Amino acid sequence: MSVSGSESEASRRSSKKPKYSKFTQQELPACKPLLTPGIVIGAFSLIGIVFVPIGLASLSASQEIVELVDRYDEECVTASDKIGFIQDTKVNKACTRKITVPKPMKGPIHIYYQLENFYQNHRRYVKSRSDQQLRSKDYKDPKAVIKSCDPEATTGDGSLIVPCGLIAWSLFNDTYAFSVNKKEVQVNKKNIAWASDKNSKFGSDVFPINFQKGGLIGGGNLNDKLPLSEQEDLIVWMRTAALPTFRKLYGRIESDIMASDEITVVIQNNYNTYSFGGTKALVLSTASWIGGKNNFIGIAYVAVGGICLFLAMGFVVLYVIKPRTLGDPSYLSWNKEDAGYSH
Amino acid sequence: MSSDRPLTDAASPHPPASQLPPPQPEPPVRADPLGFSVEVPDPFRPPLRDQPDPTASQPELLQQEDAAESRAVAVGEPSAEFAGNAIRTAKYSALTFLPRNLFEQFRRLSYLYFLAITVLNQLPQVAVFGRGASALPLAFVLLVTAVKDAYEDLRRHRSDRAENNRLAAVLSAPPAAAEFAPRKWKHLRVGDVVRVESSETLPADMVLLATSDATGVAHVQTVNLDGETNLKTRYARQETQLRFSRDGGVGGVLHCERPNRNIYGFQANLEIDGKRVSLGPSNIVLRGCELKNTAWAIGVVVYAGKDTKVMLNNSGPPSKRSRLETQLNRETVILSIMLIGMCTTASVLAGIWVLNHRGELEFTQFFREKDYTTGKNYNYYGIGMQIFITFLMAVIVYQVIIPISLYISMEMVRLGQAYFMGADLDLYDKSSSSKFHCRALNINEDLGQIKYVFSDKTGTLTENKMVFQCASVHGVDYSSAKDTSGYSVVVDDLLFTPKMAVRTDPQLLKMLRNGGSDEEAKLVLDFFLALAACNTIVPLVLDTKDPRQKLIDYQGESPDEQALAYAAASYGIVLVERTSGYVMIDVLGDRQRFDILGLHEFDSDRKRMSVIIGCPDKTVKLYVKGADSSMFGITNKELDNVLATKAHLHKYSSLGLRTLVVGMRELSQPEFLDWQSAYENASTSVLGRGNLLRSVATNIEGNIHILGATGIEDKLQDGVPEAIESLRQAGMKVWILTGDKQETAISIGYSCKLLTNDMTQIVINNSSKESCKKSLEEALATTKELRVASSVGTLNPESSGVILALIVDGNSLVYILETELQEELFKVATECSVVLCCRMAPLQKAGVVALIKNRTDDMTLAIGDGANDVSMIQMADVGVGISGQEGGQAVMASDFSMGQFRFLVPLLLVHGHWNYQRMGYMILYNFYKNATFVLVLFWYVLYTSFTLTTAINEWSSLLYTVLYTSLPTIVVGILDKDLSKSTLLAYPKLYGTGQRNEKYNVNLFVLNMLEALWQSLVVFYIPYFAYRQSTIDMSSLGDLWALASVIIVNMQLAMDIFRWNWIIHAFVWGTIAATAICLFVIDSIWFLPGYGAIFHVMGTGLFWLLLLIIIVAAMVPHFVIKAFTEHFNPSDSQIAREMEKFGALNQVNRAEIPMRTVS
Repeated sequence: MSVSGSESEASRRSSKKPKYSKFTQQELPACKPLLTPGIVIGAFSLIGIVFVPIGLASLSASQEIVELVDRYDEECVTASDKIGFIQDTKVNKACTRKITVPKPMKGPIHIYYQLENFYQNHRRYVKSRSDQQLRSKDYKDPKAVIKSCDPEATTGDGSLIVPCGLIAWSLFNDTYAFSVNKKEVQVNKKNIAWASDKNSKFGSDVFPINFQKGGLIGGGNLNDKLPLSEQEDLIVWMRTAALPTFRKLYGRIESDIMASDEITVVIQNNYNTYSFGGTKALVLSTASWIGGKNNFIGIAYVAVGGICLFLAMGFVVLYVIKPRTLGDPSYLSWNKEDAGYSH
Repeated sequence: MSSDRPLTDAASPHPPASQLPPPQPEPPVRADPLGFSVEVPDPFRPPLRDQPDPTASQPELLQQEDAAESRAVAVGEPSAEFAGNAIRTAKYSALTFLPRNLFEQFRRLSYLYFLAITVLNQLPQVAVFGRGASALPLAFVLLVTAVKDAYEDLRRHRSDRAENNRLAAVLSAPPAAAEFAPRKWKHLRVGDVVRVESSETLPADMVLLATSDATGVAHVQTVNLDGETNLKTRYARQETQLRFSRDGGVGGVLHCERPNRNIYGFQANLEIDGKRVSLGPSNIVLRGCELKNTAWAIGVVVYAGKDTKVMLNNSGPPSKRSRLETQLNRETVILSIMLIGMCTTASVLAGIWVLNHRGELEFTQFFREKDYTTGKNYNYYGIGMQIFITFLMAVIVYQVIIPISLYISMEMVRLGQAYFMGADLDLYDKSSSSKFHCRALNINEDLGQIKYVFSDKTGTLTENKMVFQCASVHGVDYSSAKDTSGYSVVVDDLLFTPKMAVRTDPQLLKMLRNGGSDEEAKLVLDFFLALAACNTIVPLVLDTKDPRQKLIDYQGESPDEQALAYAAASYGIVLVERTSGYVMIDVLGDRQRFDILGLHEFDSDRKRMSVIIGCPDKTVKLYVKGADSSMFGITNKELDNVLATKAHLHKYSSLGLRTLVVGMRELSQPEFLDWQSAYENASTSVLGRGNLLRSVATNIEGNIHILGATGIEDKLQDGVPEAIESLRQAGMKVWILTGDKQETAISIGYSCKLLTNDMTQIVINNSSKESCKKSLEEALATTKELRVASSVGTLNPESSGVILALIVDGNSLVYILETELQEELFKVATECSVVLCCRMAPLQKAGVVALIKNRTDDMTLAIGDGANDVSMIQMADVGVGISGQEGGQAVMASDFSMGQFRFLVPLLLVHGHWNYQRMGYMILYNFYKNATFVLVLFWYVLYTSFTLTTAINEWSSLLYTVLYTSLPTIVVGILDKDLSKSTLLAYPKLYGTGQRNEKYNVNLFVLNMLEALWQSLVVFYIPYFAYRQSTIDMSSLGDLWALASVIIVNMQLAMDIFRWNWIIHAFVWGTIAATAICLFVIDSIWFLPGYGAIFHVMGTGLFWLLLLIIIVAAMVPHFVIKAFTEHFNPSDSQIAREMEKFGALNQVNRAEIPMRTVS
């Protein structure tokens, strides 16, 4: 409501006129892609031509991997009361398995344990951990009880557990000793965990306290003298698996194993999967760029590539059977209607 | 406006015809030749009482009775009883901001839903996300809105403060010396006497007491109030003017109405010196107006602060909801059902799982029921509770399926669209330098679905610039005007020329100039005197470059009157000055003074106006002008003259001209005195004054001698016929609703090509219900007959289609609207391709719009420019105001405003089409993208023993809607164009896309949901099968899923974008890059479980192989559907797009297309 003279009014008025620019008039140079028959057929063909070879390469890579899986949870417990057997701390749980190698395996050979029906992604379980505690200098402070670790935050008398939480508590503790053709083979357990976890996530000055002293033993124990950053089995275990059937790296055998060699494994069958109907298996596998042995990815590539080639041909046929001139105004609905009337 | 100066020193006032009522009955500074003295009537007398009864007790008694309806103001004695002048447009203060702003924000339902989810997440048993993280999106949205609101409010505070602290010169209260001292506006009170200088803004609504002009005239500009730029004249009453110049002060008590929002109405009276003086709208000046052309003015504050008319009128346009937004609710319900379904599935399965593992939970490492510290169960309350908690958690996790962010995105898209509509040069009117304005920000997309256009005529289709074309004087037609030589007046060596010259008829001119005392010539002179005097025009003098030459500019509110005054001036009867009491007219070089003794303003009942003039020869004459229908009823019975004039009128109106009839009568002395006393009584009464004045006018306006008639051309605006043709081609029905009479309406219909000669016209013009019913039934029968005929005719291409036009008269509508007959009218009207409604009252216009709006699903648009179009603009789904000549009310009530009718074509066909297409796509896309993500989360829950774990990091889950996927859809919603402007204008039928709901419907929604289902399955299951029985950890797999989902939904968008300019490129690819960066950042935080995961997993070849195949496999169906429908079932838009790209080129290549690809 300010006073405005005729000049200022005039200038205000002329400034009301929108300024011309390609942006304001929405006329920026633009690319207008259209799905012409050429592009459609070309795209499908290209995908087919790229995908089928990738699929075949993946399949052959997967085929070259030698993978030995030995489920041992059933055979290693002979007692009828499996849960009673596994919970009895005094029984000798050693169990010997013999595996014959069908094809030569080049080192390093990865040793995995595979659990089935073990929900490491259960919500209750995933949340029961403390990343702060794993590398905190103040981990010993008795006041630093971590609520998120419940129900495994403290022992019965309220003193602190390090590392706390259900994940650490349920540490897998079966052990494997290998010999090939009766000759003992060393298992390399170094560097089985991610370097980033060892360096930054687990403290080199954090040592276990009161571990497995919470009233119920959930799994393996830890060496009180070693800092957490060197407890690689724990670090591997605490990278919780995404799916209920999972493998975790146990160690590596650096040497090659020939075909028809016999591997003898002495298993300390300590870990309780019997309570919830889980299974345990030992896996030996050679390495490849594609990861573990899995034909799925190769098959999927070949399938998708094949479908795309098929679609390319299908569209060729369709375009031949029912061609349409692009941009022909006679296809506009009102022109079609007019045409309809005149017939 | 500094050059605007009254012609002489004494200002030249006038009350505008339609709005400013009672003129000054008592010409000032003049010995009254007729010597009338009138008893001052009692102002609070009930309207029906005839005799004034000025007893002392009576007014007080009545004053008490009427206290509820009036306020008493003691002039010069400020009263604290009424609202002060401080205004407050700001909503909040520092203290109330937080609670009130939050309250305002949570009135939106979607925010409440958001809040409920967040609160739910704070319960420890149910918490899915971290407490802080879950509150983040809501807090973000609230904060952004709060900052925006706070900023706006701060600006309001500032402007309030600036406004309140402005200074006004106020007369000191009695004990102090009577002088004007500056005081802040906010300290002004009702009753204060304020002095305003030229070009100053008025601080409050004030009754004028005195002005620098001796006759008490002041000019004000009301552009801030109603958008009108012409000057309005206001008067101080002579009584106060005299007293002020005598004593320098004014006493008295003023009684006025209670505050109301009627800008054009004011009734009050002032008790001063034992007299009662009546005051009307011409005596009040309103806050926000500027004083112009007047050195100073003094007034008494009657309404202050929030009681002022400008503040009472300070309400925004009505809020409307767009069609898409209403339809979107249906899909939201479907999604809610899906949400409940998913939550129920997850919770029931969770219950079954717990049931099956009931005995094992204690020794199951990943569950462990018991907390050995306390010895009790930890977070486990039995199966029933487990199901319930899982359900609540599922609601939190899956709530995103109802896209809350969609509402915010829609707001932003509309803001962007509004910007581009405003910036479009095609919608900018150079002549009035007005650009397009989006006043309502929530119905942009409705512009793309209009089926009915209701248009006002005057000022909308026509320019409302009237040009005098021809005259019929005393039964002789003078319509051969050719000569445009103007006529000028010489006064004191200065040459005064009217601003506009009108073509004159040489014969008429000759008769006027040379006639002498001939009876015929006297009639001609009277005719032009009537044109010059019987109006409310104010002549203003403008300087030209030549200092000796001046321009006379006739300012007035009725363009017809301006045209008539210019016409009279061209014939040599020049109105040079107007004051409240007299007009100076230069009659063929001889300056004469005519006293205005009374003026009966125009009203829609009488449809005429009249003035009573004291002529220099001491005769008193009544001049009347008005519509033919109203004038022929009050003539004396000179049949020849009347019949000849009627014939000419018929001729004029069939030429499309607006006609007025002019008449006069000489009043005898007793007749005049009778009238005068009645007029005085009527014009000083406060209540019912309008009715009284009307009856006084009706009494005097009789036995009129017809002087003649005028024909004024109402010029069509530029491009109107073409625009109407485009709109009709686009499948819209154009209806004209006008207040003009039938013949004018039909002639305008022809001139704007709405009506053509091959149409069959159905006219409904009746004056009783029965006859209306009869003609409606006949009309229905006709339409049926013709439809049968035309359907037979389609077999024969020669006679396909008979086009019907319906012409309805306002009188008939009285009997049709709001009765059972309107159903029949609706049937007839929808059969006709053209409908013209004439002689419409404003509410009837709204009634006709409602007739269509309530009976069909079709969208309606009303366009108009005048106050009489306001109701129709508010009734229609979309209201468009023309910012033209008739003032700002239509614009104030409208949703969109622009300068010209023809802009409707680019607005609807181009911007409407774009807006609808963009908004429809954006809504569907938002549903699709959120559904895809939620379904990916849902599939994972099936493999976590149904415990609502998300592999995707909780931060990513929250950022998905906010950051990962929101910006590209907003940018595409603002910038993408399916077709270019030129194509849309060249093929108006492409507008049918919106009318047929092609871009947003249930089928498209279902298709989008199926695509979401397929893509979520691909995203989830390809990695699932690839990583089954592997060492993959949750965080790595979650990162893959998150990245793949984001890329896929952005690819889907990319496939559907029509035009890639650099901005769209930047946003689509930038968003994908930003997502990757976010994942890197999140996985670089050591205390999150996913630390390092993305770096680790990206180091494996399998990750990239999976990402590639997920994208391809997910997109193939969409690509196939798109390629197939675009080629084998193309929409009109698709064909037009191909025409844009290939034009006629491909005609040649027809056979080669498949060949080329095979080779």
